[in-house]
Amino acid sequence: MDTETQRKWDEASRTFDWFTFADDHRLGPHKRRLFSKIRGATLMVAAGTGNDFKFFPPGQHITAIDISPKMLERAAQKAAAYQGTIELRVMDVCALPFPDASFDTIVTVCTFCSVPKPVAGLRELYRVLKPDGQLLMFEHVRSKIGPFGIFLDLMTPLSRRLGPDLNRDTVGNVQKAGFRLRREENVYLDIVKIIEAVKG
Amino acid sequence: MYFVIGDYMAGMFIGALTALGVRAAVWLGMDMVIAMLLGMVIGMAIHLVLGLVLSPWLGMFETMIPASVIGMYGGMFFGMRDAMAAGSPTLTAAATVGMLFGALVVLGIKVYDRALRGAVVDAGD
Repeated sequence: MDTETQRKWDEASRTFDWFTFADDHRLGPHKRRLFSKIRGATLMVAAGTGNDFKFFPPGQHITAIDISPKMLERAAQKAAAYQGTIELRVMDVCALPFPDASFDTIVTVCTFCSVPKPVAGLRELYRVLKPDGQLLMFEHVRSKIGPFGIFLDLMTPLSRRLGPDLNRDTVGNVQKAGFRLRREENVYLDIVKIIEAVKG
Repeated sequence: MYFVIGDYMAGMFIGALTALGVRAAVWLGMDMVIAMLLGMVIGMAIHLVLGLVLSPWLGMFETMIPASVIGMYGGMFFGMRDAMAAGSPTLTAAATVGMLFGALVVLGIKVYDRALRGAVVDAGD
């Protein structure tokens, strides 16, 4: 377990919900649209305080993991309110205890901006995804637009101390891990994206 | 509508504060390169603080990206402008120009966002 990352997100859990009010309203409909594609046994990686549970379609069985026990403590109430089953487990995405090909769908929301070894984490997801499974991601990435990209590079040393990196190439990392891109969609500029991938 | 108005209000506020902050630090005749760099630093500092304060109400990226352009480029423009006293003789005029600049940046980014939004890759299976 990466205890340094765990400590950082335990700290962040105290103010996490405070920062999500506007994002829930602005980005919520896009997340709901993405999550409507969930099918079968589903793994949610980096559940955080459970803010995104309300966007899941009802009636699913979802295993939701996070590296931070404090985040999951806050997520418990939201999991209980979900009209389906959400099982919460403390876990590092780079060392999942699940057997190969365990899940039909894997969901991530702003996760791979924060995983210190993103390709290793994505390879682990590749391993536990069934051969016909799907990876549904809602992520922010480095912009390819000159001034925005440079700005995100400049901000990352600061943002990394409090939470996520702002300049990850998550689309590239998904492909490096072996996935085949099914869909990439810009939600805000070319920074906030929906990424859908399948096993290559 | 709340978010649209909020985006413009935030942009105008950051623009006005950047213009006034630069006006306070740059004097007539200052070396233009130094004025530009100083303006950029002031603008970036203002945008960092206000971006953090406003993002819970308006969204992290929807606040941060316009604010960074207003702070960085606005600060540079206002710094050069003030170093050669090119317009805006009063503080009110400087703040108004800042607000206008902020609103224009927000509008420009909204138009750009509309153009970029949608599928980039769609393998269709």
